Amino acid sequence: MQELLDNLKELYALNGITLRNPSLAWAEVTPERLVGLLTQLRDAHGFTHLVLMTCVDWLEDGRFQVTYLLHNYTTRQDLGLHVYVGRTASELPSIHTLWEQGRVYQQELHEMFGIYFPGSPGLGEPMILESWDGPPPMRRDFDTRVYSEETYSHRQRTHHEPEQHMKDRLYPED
Amino acid sequence: MMRLQDILSPFYVWKRAFEKPFSIAVLSAPRPGSPTYRGFHQNDIDKCIGCGTCAEICQNVSIDMVPVKEAQDGDSGLRPRIDYGRCCWCALCVDICPTGSLTMSNAYTWVEEGLDRDVRETYCYTPGADPQPWDDEALGYRKPEGYELLHLERVPMPHLAPGERLNSFVEMVKGYSHELAVQEADRCIQCGICTATCPAHMNIPAYIKAIREDKIAEGLKILYETNPLPGVCGRICTRRCEDVCALSHRGEAISIRWLKRYLTDCASAEDYKALLESEIKPLDRKIAIIGAGPGGLSAAYYLAGMGYAVEIFEQNAAAGGMLRYGIPEYRLPYTKLDQDVAQIAALGVKFNYNACIGRDLSFDDLYNRFDAVFVSVGMFEPYRIGIPGDDNAKVISGLQLLSDVTNGVPVDLGRRVVVVGGGNVAMDAARTAKRLGCEVTVLYRRREVDMPADVEEIEEAREESVNFIFQAIPLEIKTADDGSLSFDWGKAEMVQQKPGERPQPILIEGSRENIAADTIIAAIGQGVNYLWMDGEASAKIELKKFRVQADRWGRTADTKIFIGGDMFNPTADAITAIADGHRSARAIDKMLNPPREN
Ligand SMILES: Cc1cc2nc3c(=O)[nH]c(=O)nc-3n(C[C@H](O)[C@H](O)[C@H](O)COP(=O)(O)OP(=O)(O)OC[C@H]3O[C@@H](n4cnc5c(N)ncnc54)[C@H](O)[C@@H]3O)c2cc1C
Ligand code: SF4
Ligand code: SF4
Repeated sequence: MQELLDNLKELYALNGITLRNPSLAWAEVTPERLVGLLTQLRDAHGFTHLVLMTCVDWLEDGRFQVTYLLHNYTTRQDLGLHVYVGRTASELPSIHTLWEQGRVYQQELHEMFGIYFPGSPGLGEPMILESWDGPPPMRRDFDTRVYSEETYSHRQRTHHEPEQHMKDRLYPED
Repeated sequence: MMRLQDILSPFYVWKRAFEKPFSIAVLSAPRPGSPTYRGFHQNDIDKCIGCGTCAEICQNVSIDMVPVKEAQDGDSGLRPRIDYGRCCWCALCVDICPTGSLTMSNAYTWVEEGLDRDVRETYCYTPGADPQPWDDEALGYRKPEGYELLHLERVPMPHLAPGERLNSFVEMVKGYSHELAVQEADRCIQCGICTATCPAHMNIPAYIKAIREDKIAEGLKILYETNPLPGVCGRICTRRCEDVCALSHRGEAISIRWLKRYLTDCASAEDYKALLESEIKPLDRKIAIIGAGPGGLSAAYYLAGMGYAVEIFEQNAAAGGMLRYGIPEYRLPYTKLDQDVAQIAALGVKFNYNACIGRDLSFDDLYNRFDAVFVSVGMFEPYRIGIPGDDNAKVISGLQLLSDVTNGVPVDLGRRVVVVGGGNVAMDAARTAKRLGCEVTVLYRRREVDMPADVEEIEEAREESVNFIFQAIPLEIKTADDGSLSFDWGKAEMVQQKPGERPQPILIEGSRENIAADTIIAAIGQGVNYLWMDGEASAKIELKKFRVQADRWGRTADTKIFIGGDMFNPTADAITAIADGHRSARAIDKMLNPPREN
């Protein structure tokens, strides 16, 4: 796999190439070169299967890391590609033309992180968040607690702190 | 026009009635959850102590702590109530529960009849208190063996080895390093169950948190809010807080005492000085305190902090009471006591030493010159063994030995020492005699488990090769031909005289053993000395069974006289005396109610 990546390195400006073991490698590519690279991997190098697409929110760095995991059935190798994109007005090229199921992953990433994939069919339709009006909930600056407190009605809490409760009951005057 | 399909369609549906349905009959034929399924909670509410750790860890705020029982030492009386509208069945609450009372059944169906109620009023209960069908379900999720979120074991405290201790009075406990203290503080789950049990209600979780966050000055300040002798208590406190520590149920209690000690040991002189910086507005009121033991010192500190002019009258030449003249130096170095006393003096408290009330000064004099008097004279009249020959000059009291050592008076105990008693004074006397080079045997009337002395002290005495004879009743002391003492004692058996009462040692008929001794030390308790109660002023004070009567604020029948410490409380330890002093200080302030500008 090292050889393959070395060969592709220059053409696709790959970065951070890491070989975890003989059948798993990682590399970083820019959004501009992404589709070209995926096409070549699929059509020329046997990485015919898109295993998954996923995203990590690096809030402190102000960017998302989107991961594409590919599998080669002949050599039984996995190759993971990372693409970084800014957290505001995030946009990445759609890959639904390469793998049809890419559409579903992109719909999910759009719903959960707010990443836009132009041309991806059904991108704006809710996957699980029907009539959601909050910000994309998997963004780390989304405060689940605050949102839920503002949005839903709650059972009245009847909580007592043990230390204070014991004072009230056992030595209120001290 | 009606289509054929429309006529037949009901039959299509009926046809299905004979087929195997796709849906599952959850309610009429429930499928049991797997044996370790995480279903509705169960709680053994007698085992649960209401520490609230389950509520604290729950990421979904599913748990409210609600009153179920009466609060008591070691049990808040609260029990977790779980809202299944929020619960995600993660079982973190079960895994963290320090008592192991909380588990989950494998039941997962909840049937609610009718929907006429607000949904928020249902699907929520207090396991163990609100009966549920799965209360006795044996299957379900339990914390797996060996999986532990809590640190159940103490960070061990470095000690001097027994050999090193025997020839000196050097402090034997070395103290935690920064690293060890933080590690120990980290074990605390901050439940605060201990606070109620501490007689002074010290804010234990708060100062442990300060240690964890390395905020020493802040931690010291927290200590002084309820205890002006923290350096002392960090060493010798009876630490009843540790008895109720939530972690003690399945593991070892947090070393609360040693953590307090760590705070005072590593606080700098500046940290101590910083405590004195808040401005005190002097009041035109004077308070007299009799006795510079922990009770008197505590009252002095808090009264001076409120602005009163405080004078202490102490018959000895130095402050501390039993802390100085009782507790030996290897447990409490005098420098540490001096530091705490100096901090109190720095508030402007005036110490009058060698001033015995009832001898050098009269109580009436104080009563008339001061606006209130707080008395904490302790108990220092040793009881005699009460057998023939106990008036022999070679029979001394434990307190005599301990105060002689403190005062630097030369003591000659001979080679063989027998100590009579099983409390802390007995242990201190025995181990002091050991350090003076004697062979020491402790004679105690009951069994080892009945000994009132701290378990650690008994253990340490053993390590220092003190011998113990249990169930031994003293009979007679005679002088042997060579001038030494011949001590007769008899074996006792433990007899349960009344059901529910603790068994009494009863002498076995005819049993008579003998032990030779050069000195016998009686350490079987002390009584109050009433020398201070002279004159007319104290006449109003009520005595019952030789004890001065007062309410929980230390208020006697005379509004100007307050009492506290060993002469008043039944526990007779330093921290209770400190709590008494603090409480009376507030009561005195309330009684005098001096005018204050805000
Ligand atoms: C050997 C020994 C070991 C102990 N070990 C521990 C321990 O490990 N942990 C713990 O918490 N507690 C321990 N205690 C108990 C603890 O020391 C006492 O509970 C505590 O000191 C009581 O404080 P106090 O203020 O009531 O009285 P005291 O400490 O007894 O102080 C009373 C003071 O009043 C003075 N006084 C008495 N009469 C007069 C008078 N007429 N005029 C002027 N002054 C007077 C006395 O000289 C004394 O200084 C121990 C006690 C002893 C004896
Ligand atoms: S953690 Fe355990 S002991 Fe503590 S309140 Fe919850 S159930 Fe009770
Ligand atoms: S199982 Fe998890 S979510 Fe449910 S009450 Fe326990 S901690 Fe909270």
